[in-house]
Amino acid sequence: MASLSEEVLLVVKKVRQRKQDGTLYLMAERIAWGPEGKDRFTVSHPYSDIRCQKISPDGKAKVQLQLVLHTGESTTFHFANESTALKDREAAKELLQQLLPKFKKKANKELEEKNRMLQEDPVLFQLYKDLVVSQVISAEEFWANRLGGLNNSEPAPCSNKQEVGISGAFLADIRPQTDGCNGLRYNLTTDIIESIFRTYPAVKQKYSENVPHSLTEKEFWTRFFQSHYFHRDRINTGTQDIFSECAKQDEKGLMSLVNKGVKNPLVDLLSLEDKTLDEGYGIKQALPSTSNTNKTVKESSNAAIIKRFNHHSAMVLAAGSRKNEVPADQASETSSTDGNSRDSDFFQPPVKKVCVFTVKLQEAIEYEDLQRESKQKTVALNLKKSDRYAHGPVPLQSQKYTTSQDIINAVNCIQHEMAHYKPNLTQVMSSTAASSAIAALSPGGVLMQGGAQQAINQMVPSDIQGELKHLYVAAGELLRHFWSCFPVNTSFLEDKLTGHLEEMLQTAYSKFHIWQTRRMMRKT
Amino acid sequence: MASEDEVNLLVIVVDVNPIWWGQQAQREPEFTLSKCLDGVMVMGNSHMALTRTNKLAVIASHCQDSHFLYPSKSLGGGGGAAEDTSSSRDGKYELLAVANSAIAEEIRNVLSKTEVRGNSTDTLLAGSLAKALCYIYRVSKELDVGQEIKSRILVIKAAEDCALQYMNFMNVIFAAQKQNILIDACVLDSDSGLLQQACDITGGLYLKIPQKLALTQYLLWVFLPDSEQRSQLVLPPPAHVDYRAACFCHRNLIEIGYVCSVCLSIFCNFSPICTTCETAFKIQLPQMVKPKKKKLKMPA
Repeated sequence: MASLSEEVLLVVKKVRQRKQDGTLYLMAERIAWGPEGKDRFTVSHPYSDIRCQKISPDGKAKVQLQLVLHTGESTTFHFANESTALKDREAAKELLQQLLPKFKKKANKELEEKNRMLQEDPVLFQLYKDLVVSQVISAEEFWANRLGGLNNSEPAPCSNKQEVGISGAFLADIRPQTDGCNGLRYNLTTDIIESIFRTYPAVKQKYSENVPHSLTEKEFWTRFFQSHYFHRDRINTGTQDIFSECAKQDEKGLMSLVNKGVKNPLVDLLSLEDKTLDEGYGIKQALPSTSNTNKTVKESSNAAIIKRFNHHSAMVLAAGSRKNEVPADQASETSSTDGNSRDSDFFQPPVKKVCVFTVKLQEAIEYEDLQRESKQKTVALNLKKSDRYAHGPVPLQSQKYTTSQDIINAVNCIQHEMAHYKPNLTQVMSSTAASSAIAALSPGGVLMQGGAQQAINQMVPSDIQGELKHLYVAAGELLRHFWSCFPVNTSFLEDKLTGHLEEMLQTAYSKFHIWQTRRMMRKT
Repeated sequence: MASEDEVNLLVIVVDVNPIWWGQQAQREPEFTLSKCLDGVMVMGNSHMALTRTNKLAVIASHCQDSHFLYPSKSLGGGGGAAEDTSSSRDGKYELLAVANSAIAEEIRNVLSKTEVRGNSTDTLLAGSLAKALCYIYRVSKELDVGQEIKSRILVIKAAEDCALQYMNFMNVIFAAQKQNILIDACVLDSDSGLLQQACDITGGLYLKIPQKLALTQYLLWVFLPDSEQRSQLVLPPPAHVDYRAACFCHRNLIEIGYVCSVCLSIFCNFSPICTTCETAFKIQLPQMVKPKKKKLKMPA
């Protein structure tokens, strides 16, 4: 057979397609069929193209499998092997059922995104209808700029989610209910399980080791709750408990935490201990040792409880500050040796002691808003001819030129006239003058031209306005394609401009022309 | 109708440029300053007769100064007793009689004191408007509690615009706009771009009268109703205002020009240095494409 670069998952012989005998091959990324005796495949479909598969009903004589593609085409395969036809088809169908969902997501995602965009934005939808459906622009060009980067990155909203922390009381929330007859029911939800795994990676490790190989989930959790690991009085007896290892790891982790201490140079915790000077000036007593030898039973159990509380709180805090690890990640080797001390790393960043001290000191003594504001350097404005601004939009040359003699004459004239001014209010104007003024001011008169025009949006009916708006937006979109070709750097853009776009614009123009004539005809 | 408590103040600013009016008297003796002032008086009387709470002020805008014709200072002094008795004889409403006589007397005084100076032949219109605004402000401060005032300014313009008053004019216009004071303009002779802008910005009416003789009719028809009533009336449509800026170099009105980003001065042509603030500009010239040297084929 021809060299196959892909992994073949299933081969089915004696499969007819379009009345030709051949063999069906199911590979890692596609399904292909080649006729009998030939080397190459005549039919080949990647799984991402396939929308769904259909099978003929069981009672029918012909055993068929049909693949329906996203584009709407369908290909039918007829399993012609007399004895094993049904089995073959079932095998093919099962495999397809497993494979198709994996590839489906990729293709659908894009389509879904497109659909979503079209549904959310009615303007975009209208544009799509105007341009793509009426075949002015091809669909790929339309989506070219809009989808951008969809296939590479995660959708944006997801990255802004805040991580949910762990409630400190998650173990207490599993309130056991009495079962009636001396038993206890523990209700475990997935949230609680997740909290347990995040806080105690050791338990997670145990879980992944044992389930589902040696223990079922139910058994695991039953043992967990039964173990003394979980209960308050953690007395380390019995090594057959799978959780005793966890207890030892916890102990180790806690010790390493304590040994690291808190390295804040501004806070000296050790100086808070009691200092003894002399008898009567302080408590002269040996510090209580943490060894188990001299303690009473009660003391040791108290110490154990306190230790457990401390450890639990430390784990919860550490789990909250830990970044969200991929669940499939197994704990690395280094962490398994020192138990949970990995979390203690988060308490101290590995920085030099001196730098930390100065930084912390500065943070403590300086406040940002009390600092003097840093003035930006400005350049002074230097105006040479500032009187230019005072001159209004009036041309410099004056229209009239009056001689000084004219001025004197005029002033004399007016002074003479007004020296004996007496108001004569009964003879202000003649009735002819008044009536001509009224005529000029009435509607249709000289002064009333060009007034009280109807706004154009009241004259044009709204459906024509709507259609015109759609055409305008579509024309704007075409223009955007046009301008995005500039600057014309490549010959591809040049060709696009001269050939393709020219065509698009012509189509658009003819569409507009058709609309215009149609509307005009309707009017008349 | 307006409530009893609302005061309606009309300030009429009359352009009494003696040079223009003197020439006008020589051109057209039927319509002179006397006729114009008669018309103004009729308008003022009508305004005051409409409602008892209407107030009036008249300012004469001269080349030398701006002068209040009404209310005038001499009124308070109780002068002109002889005039009063003569006018009250025909049973006229006291207020109107007093107003008319005050206006007449003041204008006589103003014009008799005219001194001619060659360099200032322009009407001080911006100053008169500023005085009008101040008067309006003063009156609005002297009102009784609970009284509201609505004021407007009517400018009767005769002579041409003065370009030097541009800044002051614009300041006055914007101040009036802020105070919600309408500026109306009744133009007798040549169109005035500044007043067109004033009317457009403040919401008033601009009208250039075709017939000077019928001035009174135009005043009563168009400018007597106040702003509330104007919305109910069919009045001349607003004129198209030319808001184009003038370039700083030639004072041409331009639509598209170059603006310096430092001092905001407008030019009609590009120059690499702004002449106002002396900033140097860099323009990216289109890239020069070096012609490639063609390799000569060596003969084999």
